[in-house]
Amino acid sequence: MTTKTLPPVAPAASRGNRKQARRNTLIGWTFILPNFLGFLAFTLIPVLAAFALSFMEWTSFTAPKWVGLANFQRMLASDTFWVALRNTVAYALGHVPLTMALALLLAMLLNRKLKGIGFFRVAIFFPYITSLVAVAVVWNMLFSPDSGPINQFLHSIGIAEAPGWTSSSDWAMPAVIITSVWRDMGYYMVLYLAGLQAIPNELYEAAEVDGASAWQRFWNVTIPSLRPTTFFVVVMLTVSSFKVFDLIVVMTNGGPGRSTTVLSQLIYQEGIGEGKFGYSSAISLVLFLIVLTVTVLQFKIQQRRER
Amino acid sequence: MTNMAEDLKAEAPFAKAGLAPAEGRRRTPGTGTRGSGQRKRSTRERKARTTDTVIYAVLAVLVVALMVPFIWMVSSSLKENNQVLTVPIQWIPSEFVWSNYTDIWTRIPMMGYLQNSLYLAVIITCLQVLTGSLAAYGFSKVRFPGRDVLFLAYIGTIAVPWQAYMVPQYIMMQNLGLTNSFNALILLQAFGAFGVFLMRQYYMTIPDELCEAARIDGLSEYGIWARVILPLSKPALASLALLTFVNTWNDYMGPFIYLTSNRLWTVQLGLRSFVGQFDAEYAMIMTGSVISVIPILVIFLLGQRYFIQGIATSGMKG
Amino acid sequence: MKRTTLAAIALAVTAGLGLTGCAGAAGPAEPQGQDGKTRLTVSVWNYEGTPEFKALFDAYEAANPKVDIEPVDILADDYPQKVTTMLAGGDTTDVLTMKNVIDYSRYANNGQLQEINSVVDKVGKDNLAGSDAFDINGKYFAAPYRQDFWLLYYNKDLFKAAGIDDPKDLTWEKYTELAKKLSTEAGGKKVYGTYHHIWRSTVQAIAAAQNHADQNSGDYSFMKDQYNTTLDLQKSGATLDFGTAKSQKTSYRTMFESGQAAMMPMGTWYIAGILQAKKDGKTNVNWGLAPLPQKDSNGEVSTFGSPTAFAVNKNASHSDEAKKFIEWAAGEEGAKAISKIGVVPALQNDAITAEYFKLDGMPTDELSKKAFTPDETALEMPVSDKSAATDKVLNQEHDLIMVGERSVTDGLAEMGKRVKSEVLGQ
Repeated sequence: MTTKTLPPVAPAASRGNRKQARRNTLIGWTFILPNFLGFLAFTLIPVLAAFALSFMEWTSFTAPKWVGLANFQRMLASDTFWVALRNTVAYALGHVPLTMALALLLAMLLNRKLKGIGFFRVAIFFPYITSLVAVAVVWNMLFSPDSGPINQFLHSIGIAEAPGWTSSSDWAMPAVIITSVWRDMGYYMVLYLAGLQAIPNELYEAAEVDGASAWQRFWNVTIPSLRPTTFFVVVMLTVSSFKVFDLIVVMTNGGPGRSTTVLSQLIYQEGIGEGKFGYSSAISLVLFLIVLTVTVLQFKIQQRRER
Repeated sequence: MTNMAEDLKAEAPFAKAGLAPAEGRRRTPGTGTRGSGQRKRSTRERKARTTDTVIYAVLAVLVVALMVPFIWMVSSSLKENNQVLTVPIQWIPSEFVWSNYTDIWTRIPMMGYLQNSLYLAVIITCLQVLTGSLAAYGFSKVRFPGRDVLFLAYIGTIAVPWQAYMVPQYIMMQNLGLTNSFNALILLQAFGAFGVFLMRQYYMTIPDELCEAARIDGLSEYGIWARVILPLSKPALASLALLTFVNTWNDYMGPFIYLTSNRLWTVQLGLRSFVGQFDAEYAMIMTGSVISVIPILVIFLLGQRYFIQGIATSGMKG
Repeated sequence: MKRTTLAAIALAVTAGLGLTGCAGAAGPAEPQGQDGKTRLTVSVWNYEGTPEFKALFDAYEAANPKVDIEPVDILADDYPQKVTTMLAGGDTTDVLTMKNVIDYSRYANNGQLQEINSVVDKVGKDNLAGSDAFDINGKYFAAPYRQDFWLLYYNKDLFKAAGIDDPKDLTWEKYTELAKKLSTEAGGKKVYGTYHHIWRSTVQAIAAAQNHADQNSGDYSFMKDQYNTTLDLQKSGATLDFGTAKSQKTSYRTMFESGQAAMMPMGTWYIAGILQAKKDGKTNVNWGLAPLPQKDSNGEVSTFGSPTAFAVNKNASHSDEAKKFIEWAAGEEGAKAISKIGVVPALQNDAITAEYFKLDGMPTDELSKKAFTPDETALEMPVSDKSAATDKVLNQEHDLIMVGERSVTDGLAEMGKRVKSEVLGQ
């Protein structure tokens, strides 16, 4: 994937090459091993076990029973699954680009030497560490259809039919997305801040000398240099959007009706809530495949760009 | 320790982005003729000052918008419980109940919970940063067969919601005799894929030429990691440490499932113990939440110092 | 140099924390079974905030010096999830507290609980309110020790101020009328005639109980009147609207204790809470109890309730001791121990009810006493393996009707359609 990466030592003859490759493998693994052992034992194996369960019926009390594709058939026939899938995708489509853009914007804004910059950075991180209950109560109050400040503002600029936000099926999801973008942007800003540190000042200075405008510098220096960070942010955002759980549970608990019910809620309710672990594993396998497809696509795009 | 990295970095070519280094011209503002330099600087400074003012104004508005729920949290922490969830919202307590902040220490063993949370967060963060940055080096700077597939497996598992595999994982832990102990949580959370992924992406932005030069200088791969890459990736290490710390500190489900004995509980569990079957003591929960934010603030203020533009190139002599 | 010192400090702190942390900082170390005592473990939720557990355990230990009861304290929020996970891991906790009958049916049907017919027989199932709920084809896997049921709380002062008599023999019609009369707005402070909490049971379980209907049936037309009543109250401003109550996480305690609601249908568990709040001086509400309003005016009172029960884990380490404890807790002694703190025991007889009304701060008027002896107490939700899934659907559709997105007729039809296709598999 990193076409730039040179082999550690200049390749000699082909026999030397093979020896080199073996040495590299060994070195690579010694770096990876400490993390990999823990990862294998405590994450990968349980995940694979869960995937195996998706072909079984298991209540967690008795031995699992092989049922083939029955769980998947039930899933595809279930109305609620499709509703939750649609909601999850809608959430991701709103949450990912908005959070990414705002996080980058904030990081650029805060990536400078200013008096009290530490305070401002902390302030932007605050939503992420504010108790979820407080977030839900206050945002729901802001969104309140009749008396909330948001709708009062909308009324004042002449919008007569202001949305019902969290008490309406159509507008609950946008309300949740707005709240979650507000909450998460500080988190991803931290990642972008770190990424910005890796861009050498010299690149900007050189661009400035070449007469590039601020916008051109942003477009030709910042964006390309941030590509690995952006890849990370996009993947993490996609993954976390598809797994969104806490905020929705506290803010709308999937309602009104099923309008904000998402897949991980379904996985939780069906699995540990009702003891249908096979079925809930089947849903998570599907969720995994969707996210994996998106990630591999992004991975390929990133690779092509780097060439 | 850092000098090596900085020297190497200084030698690294910057022609990658297709921009000429423009050695001579770049020095002009500092060393040019005095008169023109000063005039240039003063307009620039004025311009910078107006930008600063604008930025301050934007930030001030932002801060207010971001802090509103937190303000509600603080206000609620100073109320009687049956005054918290009122309709309409009451922003200023009719009577300030400061005693919430003294009561909480006796109502629940808050000090012990804080210690437990801190212990878990520190250990998990250290392990995550250490093993993550090691593995990231393997994934970004060493080439060997199967590397990319393995890396995708790492990312892939992030995509599986924990709710899906927590029961198989629990059964495994129970069989290993690890449940109801801190060790279970440490083992589960310290080796996640998050740190590996974050650090790998950052290492990708560090030019390979630096490693190459170090190899020529006779450093081993481990030496390159420790003496070249690590010092250069301080901002990434800081953000990884910060985010891991915050996530561990605020984690509720993990400790809930794995820590049964009350003496092992973390702050987040302790606060939830104010939630009853039919109602909850929100005043106490908010008091505890305010207290539990303080350690995060300290960590953040310490860590954010590494996010200052130019730190990566401060050793530039060219 | 500086950096290394910092690192060293960090390491030292970590090590120090490690020592104290591992020793377990938050409280006394795990009690070991001492001097030949049997250590009985009981799973409970929110031990500090649910005083009935401590009352039971202390009394039992006093009566049985050879037994040490150790509560396994689990947060109330996700209690069933944690218990399920623990049991999946082969946990050996002796006594499992059944928070609701839906979980009970799941554990019992999966063979996770021991049959305890002998215990239920000894206590006498006719004396135990709600014991029917635990009958699975003639077998009992748990015995109830507590039975909460719903009644009407009202604010005597607000009634007096409006010149209205105590709410006796209410039908829903009369109740609506009263609620509208009691709604006032003075000096910017709004007082609602009543407060209906957002739970679906405040409409659906009441309708099921008073129409003798089954919430798992897939036909929900019986709920129509109850929904119309509730929506009418909401529309006229006699109760806080559902959308606000839900999104603001409105606390029913705040509504009642601050005098913002003159009436409130609620469960008996709130008695202990309100007694405590008055004792601590956190409210001065002058409250009374009345029977739940009824569909018909024939004087019969039917309400709904939910029992709480103890069961023996299949993997219990002390099965016999566990059964002995349950027999005691569900019986006369246990009932006395929990009535002393304002909790309604499952075992009902005149002596215990009399004891209950001796509680400090309890209203002692005749109406309140009458509220305590409903003619019929239906189960909040039937015991069935379908109940969990039905519950979910009913909740979602309840939301939509209450926020006004679906008309009552459409909402109930959709409810029936979804339960039939998603739960009953028709």
